[in-house]
Amino acid sequence: MPVGNLNRSEMSTITENIFHLNGSGLVRNEPETVNKIPGNRAVWVGIFAELTEFALFFIVYFIAKAHYPEQFNQGPLKLNTLAGTLNTFALISSSYFVAKSLAAIRVNEPEQSIKWLWRAVMCGVIYLIIKVWEYHWNVDQGIQTNTNKFYTLYYYMTFNHLLHVGWASGSLIWAILGLKSGRYTQNNHLGLTAIACYWHMVDLAWVIIFPLLYVLR
Amino acid sequence: MLNSRFKFTLKLAKLNGLDISWIMLMLITLANALVAETADKSLFVTAVICFSIAFKGRRIMDYFMELNHANKTIQLFMRGYFYVFPLLIFLADLFSKQLAAITTL
Repeated sequence: MPVGNLNRSEMSTITENIFHLNGSGLVRNEPETVNKIPGNRAVWVGIFAELTEFALFFIVYFIAKAHYPEQFNQGPLKLNTLAGTLNTFALISSSYFVAKSLAAIRVNEPEQSIKWLWRAVMCGVIYLIIKVWEYHWNVDQGIQTNTNKFYTLYYYMTFNHLLHVGWASGSLIWAILGLKSGRYTQNNHLGLTAIACYWHMVDLAWVIIFPLLYVLR
Repeated sequence: MLNSRFKFTLKLAKLNGLDISWIMLMLITLANALVAETADKSLFVTAVICFSIAFKGRRIMDYFMELNHANKTIQLFMRGYFYVFPLLIFLADLFSKQLAAITTL
């Protein structure tokens, strides 16, 4: 689509009409998502590899819980539910901000897109701070990696997830730099879409981890 | 009073799919936390939590990840993941003794 001679308001109207922007409803004609692989193939190889890794953790959890039911019944009671809940809020909000950022770049508002991404990064940082605080709190309560099977799995899963949040936050900063340098634009932001998909995957993994470790007994 | 109600209704009307998804996900998380703090262990509670996991996953995939109109294979695997694992959580709870028996070396 020739866009060079259009001013910003004309462009916005056209994209809104054609793309059915995420911010205003379903994405029906968005060229990068309709019947296509969002982002790129490489990121989806990564996403499925990561989800397979988490799937193995979950299977180990089921088996361990079947063998040590008492430890898995009592374990969540001693964990800090508030920390787990706040971390869930942080991750869900960050996913929302990343989706908003993508919606902003589609209407050619890179500055707005950058702002949303910074908010997502802030959520990632809040998550990391809460997690580190939670680990300290656990140690004060006498909860260590070798306390019992439940806590070994708890530390293994949550620390692994923490690493994912750490490097995915780094990828968000990379996307911000890409937007600032003009590498990602309204007509070329597949890299940003790929980073967004990866970030959502990190959020999705936590959607299962949170109830498994903090809620279910 | 009426004016503020009208403004609030207007604000609600302006919410889009993303905003509504975010609010719903936050509320479900809050409900999960409440369950964690108050509810006793039961199969019913496990079923409700499993349903909430499946719902949250689907909402994030469809609205945040934009998979609702994406490539069908990606859609199938991603949606499948969030049907299979909540179901496995429930089944692992329901048949925990049998699971322990078949996984004993």
